Amino acid sequence: MNVETLPGLPLTKEQLNNILAGMSVGYIKPTDLRTTSPILPPFKKLGVLVDYDDIVEATTDSKSSTSKENKLNIKSTQAQDYSCIQCRRHLPTAHLLDLHITEQHDLYFAASVERGDKPRYSCYIEECVVKFNDPQERKDHCIKVHKFPPNYRFDQAKASKVHKCKNSSDMDVDVDNNVPLATESKLPYIKAFNFGHPTQRTFNTRKERGTGKALLDVQAMKDALNDMD
Amino acid sequence: METAGEVPAPPGQMNNTALRHKIREYARQQRKDLRTNTTDALRFGLGQIKDKIMELENLGIKDVQGMAGRIKRRKHADTKDMYRLSHAFLQGNDNINAFAEVQGATQVIIKELTGTHVQHQIEAAECLCNFSLGDAHVCEKITTMAGSYLVTLLNSQEPRLKRSCLWTLANIIATCSKSAKTLLQMQLATKLWKMYTTSSSDIDAYQEDTGICLYLIANHAASSITTEDRRHIARHLHMKQPTEPAADYYMFIVFQFEVVGLENNLCSAHFQHLLNYFMDNLKTNLSTSTGKLHIIYGVRVLANMFATRPLIGRLDSQADQLVSTLNQLFALGDAGLTMDLMQLLKNIVDAQSMDNDFLLKQICVYASPVIVNSC
Repeated sequence: MNVETLPGLPLTKEQLNNILAGMSVGYIKPTDLRTTSPILPPFKKLGVLVDYDDIVEATTDSKSSTSKENKLNIKSTQAQDYSCIQCRRHLPTAHLLDLHITEQHDLYFAASVERGDKPRYSCYIEECVVKFNDPQERKDHCIKVHKFPPNYRFDQAKASKVHKCKNSSDMDVDVDNNVPLATESKLPYIKAFNFGHPTQRTFNTRKERGTGKALLDVQAMKDALNDMD
Repeated sequence: METAGEVPAPPGQMNNTALRHKIREYARQQRKDLRTNTTDALRFGLGQIKDKIMELENLGIKDVQGMAGRIKRRKHADTKDMYRLSHAFLQGNDNINAFAEVQGATQVIIKELTGTHVQHQIEAAECLCNFSLGDAHVCEKITTMAGSYLVTLLNSQEPRLKRSCLWTLANIIATCSKSAKTLLQMQLATKLWKMYTTSSSDIDAYQEDTGICLYLIANHAASSITTEDRRHIARHLHMKQPTEPAADYYMFIVFQFEVVGLENNLCSAHFQHLLNYFMDNLKTNLSTSTGKLHIIYGVRVLANMFATRPLIGRLDSQADQLVSTLNQLFALGDAGLTMDLMQLLKNIVDAQSMDNDFLLKQICVYASPVIVNSC
């Protein structure tokens, strides 16, 4: 291409046209040699300097709750975690708490899982849109695709297992293990009305006893139905 | 007639005292917050702490091994343990390697990170941040064992915890591309983009840290970005505004992730946003490195945008502004930039999205050996 120009002078329209005519429309790729030269200085890895006094101050503040100042501090650190109102389980994010409440305490969800028409279990990663039929399938997905550790601490299946063990030991009766956990939580607890005149002042332990009885009754009913078949 | 001495106390005196007390309390709380923020900002490189702090407890390999054995035995690390470990990691790579060699010690820190006590979580995250100053094998260990938790805790509400996780992730990505790839499989890019584009108050602003993380991914592991991540970023391109913090990294990230690729069907609104973003944020000062990053990669992104021949529509209304911008950039006389600008000009002319005669008449390209050689 012959472009006769003096360096530093602006090109005329014709000259520019000639230069552009010699070029081709191009897509610049990140792998092109001219694009790989670094512009920013190399990243310097940095750690955090922790001040022990601050840590001690924060710890003592959270322990004592007498002064107003301390109350403010507690508000800024303790009140910001996500905990389940029903079972007091603490979870680090809103998404995990949402999953926990849905999977452990939502009867509609339990019913829809039982129906099994479509996958209901969401992935532990909020941004992942894949859904699964059962928790084990989800666990496999998280380990294989997202490289989660096999003993992921916020696993919902783990929580339900612990819950199940607790219940079975509390009841102290030989209940069929195949009965799903959802059935137990489905049983309603009806509180006795007293209209401000309780007959006796005592620790209310009816809930546990009542649940056990009701469950036994359900079991008995199931057995009876099986006998009928 | 009332005398001056007999004037009764104003009825609002009690309220004033209460108000003063309240203001004093708020001021004290604000001072405390500021002090915490300042402490947060104190960051050191490996071994740098020895030069900066004279009265420092010298912690060696044996101390670290002792502490690691102790926390492993007790299956718990308290505040003091994590504080001393954090300081030991800052003092040298030998300490980091010594801790990494003790089987089961890292798990204890991770247990604290995933616990229910917020303060312990913060301390554990800061401890891991200093631990991530180690070599690639240490970073791989952190990623395998705690990567998922670090990514999960980015959604935490505790600012200090969130920031420590971001710093740890940045250290890991900068050290080991294999770890960066693993972290990307945990959908880190999508999460970071969300944080990068979310506008928040000054105190809770994470754009700078997320911008650095995304920059490091774009620099070291851009090839490991998944199609889903790329699609998510393409869909949410318009969420970042040029006036927000860390805006200069934007064009580099968009270019390196090949968001304006042939396979991504971007609509005209996205292209309009990119064009406006580039022109609005233009500082023709090549002396600052981030400003240079914005200009050079912005030109490349625009060149690719016109090369893909999208449904841009006519840009006649913006022709004047575009010509003025190009003239300013040509006037800088930077050799590499001029080559990219010529490519951009060619692509604009070929896209026929504005009056080419007007464009070529108004544009002011200075003759230079680069232009002649490039043709």
